[in-house]
Amino acid sequence: MRVPILKLHQYLLISVQVELDDQTALQFQEDLLSKIHVEGSLGVVIDLTSVDMIDSFIAKVLGDVVDMSNLMGAKVVLTGIQPAVAITLIDMGIKLDNVPTALDLEQGLGKLQQELEE
Amino acid sequence: MQPYIISLLNHSKETLIDLWQKELESVRTDNYLDSVSDSVYESTNQNFMQFIMRLVSTDQDQAKEQLSSFAEKYIQSGWPLSYYTQGLQAFRRVVLAILSEQESDVQALLLTFSELEAWIDGIINQLVYDYTGNWEDIIEMQKLSLMELSAPLIPVFESITVMPLIGTIDTARAKLIMENLLDGVIEHRSEVVLIDITGVPVVDTMVAHHIIQASEAVRLVGATCILVGIRPEIAQTIVNLGIDLTKFPTKSTLRKGIEKALELTNKKMVDL
Repeated sequence: MRVPILKLHQYLLISVQVELDDQTALQFQEDLLSKIHVEGSLGVVIDLTSVDMIDSFIAKVLGDVVDMSNLMGAKVVLTGIQPAVAITLIDMGIKLDNVPTALDLEQGLGKLQQELEE
Repeated sequence: MQPYIISLLNHSKETLIDLWQKELESVRTDNYLDSVSDSVYESTNQNFMQFIMRLVSTDQDQAKEQLSSFAEKYIQSGWPLSYYTQGLQAFRRVVLAILSEQESDVQALLLTFSELEAWIDGIINQLVYDYTGNWEDIIEMQKLSLMELSAPLIPVFESITVMPLIGTIDTARAKLIMENLLDGVIEHRSEVVLIDITGVPVVDTMVAHHIIQASEAVRLVGATCILVGIRPEIAQTIVNLGIDLTKFPTKSTLRKGIEKALELTNKKMVDL
C-alpha cells in the first residue's frame, strides 16, 4: 500500500487515507523525499484528518520526515490531527515539538505561504 | 414476628410509648435538632412511634414498603438518619426493660428479645439503605452538574476561543478539559485558544502538567494556546517549582491575552 503524493504548484499535498503500518510509513518517507528531490518543492502539507490512530513508531517517522524535508529545503505542516490522536500522542509523551501544525488543509497551506514569504 | 410478642407489645403500649418518649428527648440534643420547635419535634416523635407500633403488626413485605415511603417523607424534609437509628436503639432498650419486668424466665426472655432484635435490625438496615441511596443519588446528580460546569468553552471572535477555568483541577477534570478543548477547537475552527486560570486557586506541578499537556495537544490539532490570568502568587509558585512554561505564550490578564490572540490572527481592535 502506498500513500499518494499530489503536486500543486510548488507544494506537495498528502492526504493519508490508509492505515499507516510501519512498512507503509517507511515507504512513504522514501517516496516523499524523492518527490521533493524531483519536483524541487518548497512546501509539504500532510493531512491526517482520516487517521484515527498513531503509534509511537509512526509518530517518530512523521517527526523524521519533517526534519528530513526541512534539510532538503521543504517546509512541512501536519494538518487535521484528530483530538483523540492528539490525546494519545500526549499521553505517550510524544510532543512533535519541531513540527508545525494547522487545523485543516486550507490553514496549512496558508501557514506554508506565510512561512515562505518570511 | 410471633403473635405473642405483638400482643405483648400492644398490651404494654402505654408504658412503652411513655418511656420511649423520654428516651427520644435525650436523643434530640445529639442530633442538632435544637433548632426545631418543640411542637414539631413532639409531633415527629409521635408519628415515628405510631408508625413503629403499626409496623409491629404488619407482615414483612408490606412493612418494607411502608417503611420506605415513611423514610422518603423524612429524607425530603432533612431529618437526620441518626435520629432514627438512635430512636430505634432507644426502642430496643425500652422494650428490653419492659420485657425483663414481665418475664421472669431468662430463657424465654432471651428468645423473645432476640426475635425483637432481628426485627429492629431489619428496620434500621432498611432505613440506612434508603437514606444512603438518597445521598448517592444526590452526589451523582451533583457530579453531573459539576461536569457540565467544569470546562466551558466560549467562542468570542471568529477563530478565537476562551476557556475560563474555576476551581481546583484534578486528573479527571483535566481529562475533561482536554477533551472539551480539542473538540471545541475543531468545532469552532479556532486558531487561538485562551485558557484563563484566574479562578484556579492553586497551581502546583500536577495542575501545571495538565495545562502543559492540554496546550501541547491543542498545538497538535493545529491551534495556538495562550495561558492567561496568571496572578503574582501563581507566577511565584510556577518559578519556585521550576515549571517550564516558556514554550507557549502566557499573559497576566484575559484582556492582554485577547490582544495577543488578535495579533496572532491578523486582527486589530480600533477605536471608532
